[in-house]
Formats: sequence, C-alpha cells, structure tokens
Amino acid sequence: MDYYIEPLKLDCEDLLHRFQETESVRYEVFAAVWRKMDFPSIFYGKMAANEMRAFSRLILTTAYPYFLPPYSFHIRVGGLYLLYGLYNTQLASPKEKIRIALKDWENINKFQEDAMNAQHYDVSYIFRKLISEKAFYFAAMPKHLFFRVKRKTKRPTVCDEFWDRPMRVMDLVTTETLEEIVNVQEHYEKAKQAICGTPGQPDPAINLVSKDLVQRLHSTVVTYHNWLDEAGGKKKERGDADAGEGTSKQSEASQRAERLASIKSKSYGQAVEAVKSRRHRQVEIGSSETGGGQATPRRNKSLKARITKKMTGKVKEEILSGETTTAWRLSIAEQKSKGKTKGKRRFKW
Amino acid sequence: MAASSSAGCPTPAGANNDIPTYEYVDINTRPFHVGAFERLWKETLKPTYYSFRDAPQETEDEEFAQEMGVSAETIDELKVICSPDTLRCYPENEPPDKNVVPMDPGLRTLRLRKRQQDYKETLLRDFTCRQHLYATELESLAMGKRPADPEDLVPEGEFILSINVVYPVIFERFKHVRPHQTLQVLGSQKLTDLRDAICCVSDLQVSGEFSRSPDMAPEFISKDHYKSATFYLEGTFYNDMRFPECRDLSQTIMEWAKSHDFPTFQTAKMEETTFRDLKIKIGYPYLYCHQGDCEHVVIITDIRMAHRDDCLDHKLFPLLTYKHRVMTRKCAVCHLYISRWITTNDSLAPMDPCMFCELCFRMLHYDAQGNKLGDFLAFPFVDAGAFN
Repeated sequence: MDYYIEPLKLDCEDLLHRFQETESVRYEVFAAVWRKMDFPSIFYGKMAANEMRAFSRLILTTAYPYFLPPYSFHIRVGGLYLLYGLYNTQLASPKEKIRIALKDWENINKFQEDAMNAQHYDVSYIFRKLISEKAFYFAAMPKHLFFRVKRKTKRPTVCDEFWDRPMRVMDLVTTETLEEIVNVQEHYEKAKQAICGTPGQPDPAINLVSKDLVQRLHSTVVTYHNWLDEAGGKKKERGDADAGEGTSKQSEASQRAERLASIKSKSYGQAVEAVKSRRHRQVEIGSSETGGGQATPRRNKSLKARITKKMTGKVKEEILSGETTTAWRLSIAEQKSKGKTKGKRRFKW
Repeated sequence: MAASSSAGCPTPAGANNDIPTYEYVDINTRPFHVGAFERLWKETLKPTYYSFRDAPQETEDEEFAQEMGVSAETIDELKVICSPDTLRCYPENEPPDKNVVPMDPGLRTLRLRKRQQDYKETLLRDFTCRQHLYATELESLAMGKRPADPEDLVPEGEFILSINVVYPVIFERFKHVRPHQTLQVLGSQKLTDLRDAICCVSDLQVSGEFSRSPDMAPEFISKDHYKSATFYLEGTFYNDMRFPECRDLSQTIMEWAKSHDFPTFQTAKMEETTFRDLKIKIGYPYLYCHQGDCEHVVIITDIRMAHRDDCLDHKLFPLLTYKHRVMTRKCAVCHLYISRWITTNDSLAPMDPCMFCELCFRMLHYDAQGNKLGDFLAFPFVDAGAFN
C-alpha cells in the first residue's frame, strides 16, 4: 500500500489547492471542487475486500494532517471537509474511522472554537456531525506504529503554500506595546531630569536612547511588513516557476531512467543463458570475436551452424534465429525450449 | 536498536508527559503511563462522544442550535447544504461501476491503479497471495460483535490496545517477512491474559521418544511442564508467578546486568499488573520470553478508545485479529495431512528422518493390536503451522 502514499498526497494537495484558490471556506464551494475533480472515484477500481479497507485507512491517515497546524485556517477547513468527504464516500463497510491523536485534540478544539466565533456554521456543523456519527477513533497516535526503522520513509513535509506563517514581529510590536514603550520612555526622560543638576534640562551626556524611538520602531515595522508582502509575492511567482521547472526536470530524469531500464531489460532479455560450467568458454569466444576486429558485435552462430556452413555452405534459418550464443549446443531441441522461459516482466510501482 | 537519544525529537518543555508524542517520527513514542493517558482522554471528551448508543438526532440539533445561537431553520438549511449527497459525482439512480477505473482519470492515484490493472490483465494467470486474501478475515469476523449477555459488554470508554507478537525467528524463510500475530486486549486486563492468549508452537512441543507408547505422547506438552514466562517492558521484567513451579526467567539477565555494569532492571509480577498500570512506548519493541528461550518481540502498535463498531464482548478479549499463516510440512506417505510424528533409524521409511501423519504412522508402524513393528525411534512433531 505504501506506493499509494505519494500520489494520494499529491491528489489531496491538488484538491486543497483548488479550494484555497476559491478564497471561500463555504462547504458548497468545497463540494463543487470535489465534484469537479470526481474525487470519490479514488476508491474505484478492482480492489480486494481487505485491500479496500487498508486503502481507506491510508487515505484517511494521509488527509488527517491537513486538518492540523501548521496549516492555515483555510486549509484546515478544507482538511476537515476532505475527511468528511472521504469518510462518507469510502466503500469499506463498516466504515474505516478517522484516528485522532490526543496531542492534536487541543488544536482541534481550538479550531472548532475559532470556527464558532467566526460563525462558520457549516464548519462546526460538519465537525459535530462527524462526532455524532462516531467517525473518530480517539487514539494515542494518528497511525499504528510498527518500529520500522530500516524503512527509509520520506520525512513528512509541509506544503509551503498552505502554511500559516506566524507573524512573530507583528505579534511582538502591537499598538499596546508601542504605547507601553512611550510610557516607559516618558518615565525614563523624567528620571533623567530628576538626577540632573539643572532642573528641567537633562544632561546631554546621557543620550543612550533616541527620543524618536517609538516612531522609528513603528516605521521600521511597517517597512518590514511591506517588504515581506512584496517578497512573498515575488517568492510565490518564482516558486511557481521553480516548481514548473522542477517537474519538467524530474520528468526528464525519470524518462532517462525509464529508457535506461528498458535498455537494461532488453539486454538482459537477450542475455546468454549458458550452463554455468560453460560460461567461461562462451565469454572467451565473445572476446576473441571482438578482438578479431569486428565493428559491430554480432551474434555468434552455433557450433552446429558453423559446422553445417562449412560442410554444406548452407545455414538453416532456424539455427541462425537462435537467440543466444549457443556455441556449445549440438542440438536444436534444447534451443527451442529455451525461448519460452523468457519474457517475464514485473510491475514497476 | 534506535539511534542515540540525542537524535530524537526534543522534549517540549513543560508538556504533559502522559500525552504520547513522537520520540522518532513515525517510529515510536516517548514512554507514557497508559492509565494517565486514558484519564486525559476521558477528561477532555464528553461521554456522548464515545458512547456506544446514538443520541437522537433532534436533541443533537437543538443542542447545536443553542450553542451557536441560530434558529431551527438555519439548522435545517445547514443539513441540506452539508448532507453527504452533495459529495456524489453522478446523477441519482445511475451509480457508476465501482470496479472499473474511469477512463482518463485526473487523479494520480487512479492513474497508478489503472496502470497496475492494465498490467494485471496482461498476466496469463493472476492470483492473490493467500496470505493477503485472508489477512483481515479474523478482524472482520469479530467486528461489531455484541455479547449475548449484556453483563459482558465492554464498558464505555474502555481502551483497546493492539499488540503485535512477532514469531521467533527460527526459520530461514522468515528473514524477509516479519510474521506476527496481532492481539487486541483491554486496558483493564492483566498481562497474564495476554500471555495465555499468545499461541506459540513451542508451548505444544513434546520432548521424548514414544515409539513404544504413542498414545502417551499428548500428555507431556511443554506448556504444562514449564509454566514460567516473562514480559520485558520499559526496564521492568513482569514474571508469571501464578504457579508454585514457576521460575523467575529474568534472574539470569539481572545477574548478568549486575556483573556488567548495566543499569539495574526492576521486576514485577505479571498476574498483578494490568495494562493500565504500565508505562510504555508505542511502537517500541519489547520482549516476551517463555519456555526458557522462546523469545518473541512484542510491539504495542496502538491504544485507542473502544468504538461502537468494535467487538464489544468482554469474553472474547484478548482478541486475535491477525495471524500469519505458515506453510505446513505434510506426511511423507499421504502428502495430505500435516505431520505429527518424526522417525529416525526407521527401517520402514524412505529417508531419515521421516515425517508421518498420525494415521499413516499407525498403519505403517503398528499392527492391529498396537504392537510396534520393526526397529525405529519416534518423536512427536508439532508443525509450525499448527495454529493455522
């Protein structure tokens, strides 16, 4: 089932991306996107009964992280709708449940409160509905853990565009803090005046903090904010371009890899299937042939063919068409049986 | 084992230690106390969230309306807007064939599945591995089972632990697969309940030569002779001491640890410990040892609250939900039944040693009165697939 993780993730992200582009958190909008993509068909196709269950479990586990931070509120709403949709359209019966980990419950509760305060009725209604339908397992961890240390899994990555970036600077410098700083500075100026010899005139030597501190701080934050917006826009554009490039490169690379694989499989398909004890002789013949100055390495005729050629001058067609170097072979029957054993190919995931 | 502890995720300062978090992402969690974890879940959830009964829809709606401060009409409207019917992608009464991947699918998952199916159609013969075919058989059998007697109902809010018990690696062919059985136990159950539910062929072994008295053999099963067993979980050995002849299997390890400057281990009694009392890591390999040296790796893969659709019969727990099936060795004579006897120095057998099923063994080696014919040594044989 693991080979489905990557395409599943991409499909979910595709759906959420389209949902994000609509800039609406309404459920109708999501349902429209969902129908347009024909998302329930993800469960279609012949799957054995147990495979179906495992697949449902996998897709719910894959969709679950989008319902949690660090994703933005919009994506989390999309994640909730996605879970609702997948839970309701899955074909396993009884339905596979959505696993909620204890560590995430606090976040989910907060999300639910946010939705309520913002009066997104559809969001809270769907969450309530999932709960009353008993669609959740209240578990320790979002998935079963088997201690698979040797398996090299990709680190869980956070899709960049969905990320809700924390505005640390904005959090730090708010109007309240600015007011606070103004007050502190007033105090400071007064204290300076108090310790000074001449009343009303602060000592010019004590000049550690500039007087227009608050204004400067404010303007710095504003410029930073503007710069962030601009950079973000630029980055997004560039990111898109990069992504396009990346995928084309990737496809190129994969094409190359496929070509190599096909060449390899072809060459293995024609590989000389000689008896182990005879292999060394065969190689000898091959190398001596190439050493003899042949430009294109040609298939060696079998000993029998060569003998017949010498004796009669005629070469039988069937012997020539023998697919391997069969210098050691003196019979045709074996040759015929050889042809059938090849041609087994495996499915590449 | 795992990499050094410094490589793990950092512990969040001030966080509650009983909330399970990853030590290594997707591999295992930090140790936490099962009972405290259960309490935390129960404190945060309303009892209706995990109740086995359905609350009536009307009261639910009313509650929701009150909480949100909206009118009943709005609720009705919401119901229509958010009904699962909106997710349907085909006209009503015209369901598509769900066994066929739609033509030219846009979803990547489907493209992969289509590719795989097209490949499968090119195969001359296609068979699913029987291991996969019956993988969920036991699980689906137990799903949604209710007890006949309401007293046996699992209480609401009970926790279910899933435990993988890996077969001891004694076969060459087990090098690549990790055959195991999965058991579900309740948090209130004792470790000894799990110990009794684990089926391992080494419990059934019979030692000794029985060519003179083949009827006596079943009376000497190892399970009845050597009753000691131990679980090793998070630095503590839990020994089975229910019977006077039980021995402390952990003793040698403790002594060895003492002489080699290892941190000391604790011991506790298996029969006095419930799963709720344990402090464990989920996904971390632990040990179950019985019959002196039959060692199983034990992994607790999951703990979750019991759900309405689970098996709710208290008596069926510990519940076996998955079992790896092993190839069996067949009788050398009939090639039909599983071998029960193995003979050596046998003048009647084609090879040495030779396997026989009960029937062929008796027919070949004994006359009608049950007298031994010829000269041979016979040992009872328990096949690894005895529990299939």
